[in-house]
Amino acid sequence: MTNFIEYLLGGLGSGAIIALMALALVLTWRATRVVNFAQVGQAMFTTFIALSIQDLTGNWFLALAGAIVAGAALGVVVQYLVLRPVKRADTSGAIIATFGVLIALQAGAGMIWGGDQQAYPQPFNSAGISAFGREWPISVYDLVVIGVTLALVVGLSLVFTRTNLGLSMRATAFNPEVARLSGVRVSRTLTIGWAIAGIVGAVAGVLVAPISTLSPNSFDILLVFAFTAAVIGGLDSLVGAVALGVGTGLVISLVTGYSDSSNAPVVALVLLALNLLLKPDGVFGHTSSRSV
Amino acid sequence: MTNLMRLPGARLVLHAVIVVVLYLALMWFVGGADPLTMSNIALAAMYATAMFGMVILVGLSGQVSLGNGALMAIGAYTLALTSLNWQTVPIIGVPMNGWWAMVFALIGGIVFGLIIGGLGARLKGPYLAGLTLGIAVGIPAIANRFPDLFGGETGLLLTVPFPEGGYEPAVDEGAETGTEAVTDGTTEGTTDEALPTEGEGAGETLAPDDLLTIDDLSGDGTASELPTEGEGAGETLAPDDLLTIDDLNADGTSTDAPTDVATDVPTDVSTDVPVPDVPVDTLPPSTDQADPGFLIEYWQASLAILVACLVGFVALNLVRGRQGSVWRAVRDDPVAAAVSGISPAWSKVSAFMISSVFAALAGGVFAQLLAYVGPGAFPLGLSLSLLVGVVLGGRSSLVGAIIGAVIIVWLPELVRSAAEGRGWDEQVTNNMPNLLYGLLVVLVVLIAPGGIVGSIKSLSAKVTKRAGSPG
Amino acid sequence: MLTITDLSVNYGPVHALAHVSIEVPRGEVTAVIGANGAGKSTLMRTLAGLVKPLTGEATLDGVKITGHKAEDIVRMGVALVPEGRSTIPELTVEENLRLGGMWRSRTDRAATVTEVFDMFPVLGERRSMGAATLSGGERQQLAIGRALMCDPQCLLLDEPSLGLAPLIVTQILQLVKRLATEQNLAVLLVEQNAVTALRVASQGVVLNLGQVVMAGPAQEIASHDELRHAYLGY
Ligand SMILES: Nc1ncnc2c1ncn2[C@@H]1O[C@H](COP(=O)(O)OP(=O)(O)O)[C@@H](O)[C@H]1O
Ligand SMILES: [Mg+2]
Repeated sequence: MTNFIEYLLGGLGSGAIIALMALALVLTWRATRVVNFAQVGQAMFTTFIALSIQDLTGNWFLALAGAIVAGAALGVVVQYLVLRPVKRADTSGAIIATFGVLIALQAGAGMIWGGDQQAYPQPFNSAGISAFGREWPISVYDLVVIGVTLALVVGLSLVFTRTNLGLSMRATAFNPEVARLSGVRVSRTLTIGWAIAGIVGAVAGVLVAPISTLSPNSFDILLVFAFTAAVIGGLDSLVGAVALGVGTGLVISLVTGYSDSSNAPVVALVLLALNLLLKPDGVFGHTSSRSV
Repeated sequence: MTNLMRLPGARLVLHAVIVVVLYLALMWFVGGADPLTMSNIALAAMYATAMFGMVILVGLSGQVSLGNGALMAIGAYTLALTSLNWQTVPIIGVPMNGWWAMVFALIGGIVFGLIIGGLGARLKGPYLAGLTLGIAVGIPAIANRFPDLFGGETGLLLTVPFPEGGYEPAVDEGAETGTEAVTDGTTEGTTDEALPTEGEGAGETLAPDDLLTIDDLSGDGTASELPTEGEGAGETLAPDDLLTIDDLNADGTSTDAPTDVATDVPTDVSTDVPVPDVPVDTLPPSTDQADPGFLIEYWQASLAILVACLVGFVALNLVRGRQGSVWRAVRDDPVAAAVSGISPAWSKVSAFMISSVFAALAGGVFAQLLAYVGPGAFPLGLSLSLLVGVVLGGRSSLVGAIIGAVIIVWLPELVRSAAEGRGWDEQVTNNMPNLLYGLLVVLVVLIAPGGIVGSIKSLSAKVTKRAGSPG
Repeated sequence: MLTITDLSVNYGPVHALAHVSIEVPRGEVTAVIGANGAGKSTLMRTLAGLVKPLTGEATLDGVKITGHKAEDIVRMGVALVPEGRSTIPELTVEENLRLGGMWRSRTDRAATVTEVFDMFPVLGERRSMGAATLSGGERQQLAIGRALMCDPQCLLLDEPSLGLAPLIVTQILQLVKRLATEQNLAVLLVEQNAVTALRVASQGVVLNLGQVVMAGPAQEIASHDELRHAYLGY
């Protein structure tokens, strides 16, 4: 039982990161009905940019800010230059294009920063917290990650429900034509959606890098976990993505704890396959929280 | 001619003639080529085999799948396991050989094609792409999960095939101790520890990951060898969690720290985007010990070309026949197709199954080209490169698949030779092919969704239209 | 006044509209009637900026609207209530309204929301419920309300009666007429159902195969038997 609780606690931090990446996938899906398979590529690229800033200035927060700016810019560029011009009738085209972007970004990063694993500095204490006379498998850093994730999902939910921009984004996702007829500048709204997703992905990248390592391909498995979480969460739901992201982290932590880490992707796959077969719209799909 | 084509079987004969002519031309060309070109042609034929399946799956049936690299792995592992473990073909009782192993690879393709196809046919665009992406990323994990069976990260070392199609013990010039391990390679225990040895200028070698630690290696004191850095061996990829030999070599950055779930799967090994560099360079050295006239590259090219032509013949008949129209009909308008009596689900599953049979056969060939099967040979990058090739060549064209295969094999060489004398950084040169693939794929999707073949077709249509309407 | 001059639209080889000229005066309803496929929706969508015309133009009070983007045309005072499901069921009633006219000041919009709720009390009662819960007639009210949120000078209604019960249709069309007179709007109303449309309209235009075959006072068209037989099929 103590093991069980330990594994759960240990999975929270990584679950929060999976949740963030899933959030980014949901944001682009809501904006443009495209699953952006290049999302982790964008996050990897901006994290490398952050690492360069970190190396120059030594300031972790400045690096994070750099990643956020780069993430927004990259999201805008990818949406505006690649996804927007894809012919509407070419349904496979958008998916293929995102893979093209992923390949190009990974190669580009390899060109600039090399293919080796690089360490990313730890800004906070990553040792287990000691309390009640023992050490717990959760660190200050994990708490920061969880806090940032919660803040982002709450903040985004408020933006979506309380602001004109949020209303425009939701309306555009559901019915772009009615949105245009109501005066919403649809194409700008879509691009903003991608920018926000880019920011969320960039934050996820900078947060995951210190507890993993950074290389052009090192986030690929994160894409699988995040996709699993986003799809099971219903692809349309911010809350679903976050809940399932954390859930995926916990499940993986349990699986890793009780058996070994090589099972993690297999478990994610089984979850994904089962979900797609039994409930193709995800557990949070459609009616329940589609409007958030 | 048009009247002739209406005769029953005429189309079949025409396709047979096309394929036989192609086969003879290729074999004639290979006969006069140097060993490196032979290897490249073998690789291109192998890619073409898999890409014929992608044409049917992605192009005709409209399902974007990244699972075909994983299905190649299934073919390759089936071939390796059956040929390593079985002396004779079960039930029939005749001695096992390379051709029989290919038959088992085919069966593996059918079985898994049905499973994944059955799953996938219910899924729409991004869901299918995501699920198959997961499969592609997850394959190494499965190989690692059952190290006793699949050889873990190390993989299984195949023996060098001989012209009759049989297998003989591998002869490893670069290795001092490796041979015995493989000699009695019919028992799993020993083959597990045999690692691929580097040929000349080998690409990335895959280091054992958490499963194979120092203790394991020294434990049974047998022939287990670490990846010996052969002449100019490329990077050796280090595992993540447990401390292994490679961690000790790592340049200061400790790779043993991360224990986070999101990362401790050997992603570094599994997701290298490029076509694995392994092929050309780790092809077993051409041994003339067995037969001075025998050139392994020639044998491999013959095998790959033969399989590609057989598969191409089947694909040609399917694509240009009734089934091809069925796939296109379902892709373009599933509702209308269903109304006219076609089952959209079955159409999708059948496309999946056929493409996975092709992929499994390509995987079987791949295993024989590498003389090795391991998770590192089937990274996500392999699936991506199949997609890249088909998209560049022309998504729904078999000729496009051949062009795509040629691009995938020769573009890196072109880049390498372009880099020579220009003083490009090695980092730049190595990543240039993928950068080009990525950018080209985006450009093709945006500007010419029909790829090279589609563009040529529409261009020539324009020209003939202009020529046909004088004044 | 909305003035349409020589408007033509092609969809590839299909000539959907051919040299259409119509004048829509303010303060009254002008009805466009015609069989299915006559080009009525194409006309409306072209005016709203969703379709680009091949020739011709449209002006609102002398200002050219064709050639602008849909989101700019609505800012210039031309609001379209499109055919079919033109509310967003995933949003609440109030959100559907708030979507219209976001460029306007907060106070102006609040005032219009109140106006719309006065006009359609049901919507006020259900303001925080999902639009999916509304009946067909209520949805049409909501769609009109959303268009009014854009503070239009000209209202384009594409078959608002589609799929509604006759009693509701009469209600809605009466309201449209009232809007035209009270707010001095130029209203262009598209209907397949000629009888009801011509009852509230002062002018009528008959469209067939993309061409205006007749235009004139609504009364005249309603009583023109040959025309009815030939183009309206009753
Ligand atoms: N998006 C489109 N693409 C091609 N043809 C269209 C399109 N929309 C309408 N049409 C054609 O244009 C003609 C007019 O259609 P429409 O304006 O919808 O007529 P109505 O609203 O009067 O029924 C019809 O022949 C229709 O088939
Ligand atoms: Mg219509």
